[in-house]
Amino acid sequence: MANNSTADFQPQITLLYCRQSLAAEVKAVQGNRAGDGFSVRLVLLPCSSKVQLPHLMRLLEQGCDGLQIAACPEKACQHLVGSNRAEKRIARGRGLLEQVGMGAERLGLDRGAGLSLDDLMEMAGQRAEAVRALGPNPMKGV
Amino acid sequence: MITAEWKPIEEMVGYLRGHKKVLVIGCATCVAECAAGGEREVETLAPLLAMAMQNDGNPIEVKSATLERQCEPEFLEAISEAAADADAIVSVACGIGMQLVAEHYADTPLYPGVNTTSLSIREEPGLWTSRCAACGDCVLGLTFGLCPVARCAKSLQNGPCGGTRTDGMCEINQDTPCIWRLIVERATARGRLEDLTKVRPPKDWSNSPAGGPKRMLREDLRS
Repeated sequence: MANNSTADFQPQITLLYCRQSLAAEVKAVQGNRAGDGFSVRLVLLPCSSKVQLPHLMRLLEQGCDGLQIAACPEKACQHLVGSNRAEKRIARGRGLLEQVGMGAERLGLDRGAGLSLDDLMEMAGQRAEAVRALGPNPMKGV
Repeated sequence: MITAEWKPIEEMVGYLRGHKKVLVIGCATCVAECAAGGEREVETLAPLLAMAMQNDGNPIEVKSATLERQCEPEFLEAISEAAADADAIVSVACGIGMQLVAEHYADTPLYPGVNTTSLSIREEPGLWTSRCAACGDCVLGLTFGLCPVARCAKSLQNGPCGGTRTDGMCEINQDTPCIWRLIVERATARGRLEDLTKVRPPKDWSNSPAGGPKRMLREDLRS
């Protein structure tokens, strides 16, 4: 795996989250945000099951350092099995990323209910920390 | 359907070293149904190959396309420009489609992205199981619609071997039912168990893949 780790590496994370995982009073947000030592692009999904591997792999091919999916708890999915499907796809995607030398930790899924914007930023931050050990995406700038 | 499975990406990387512009092509027919070579898989594999080659120190430009069928020459023209622009093609169609592409675009090296594995059905989501071995002498009429060629590890024609597990599964694979158990059960259910005791002529294996490359000719269809 390419080791491009730099001390001032600020991971660029894309966080795709299920709108149902937000607390009722939280307004859904999209777009770029700055975190502590990382940046994140928030993408709203109607259900985490909408994530498909081609989309995730293209994002990584285009230089995104890490991808985080926020899904509902297993029993709380509005589409019943949507978050389980997402979880299985993410598991496969992580295996494929390991095979191509990108590192499985560039992709992850966590579950939560009643999430706030701070919770989403915390998830993104945890993904950024996991990615930091891998260094910048070798596809950046290609 | 014809089923296939992705080759290890490491193997594909080995093929692609030295190439710069790669076209990944899929087929929207059988291999799409078995989630190996349809548009979704092509669009997953293409960026993965780009990343794998980048990490291998041999960056490539990857383009992708999914044909309606790779095993019919009429559909291959759709990629003529992309194929002319590429210095290598990776196909995730079955071996039939791959060979037609290799023949059609003979100047461009073609590499397999999948191993073609069986003629199967989708038994349940995410599970495909063999149903046909293209043996060329179908016996389904004698075995109550259950194939002892494709679905018996030993292709036994006259009943189960001695290795059937006590739970009725195959001794070779505990997830595979002994097909002769199923044949006997179906024959019994139809009240025709005696049919299985009838002496049958030897099966004609000369029309199977073991008989050499197949060549099927229909004069009435030729121009």
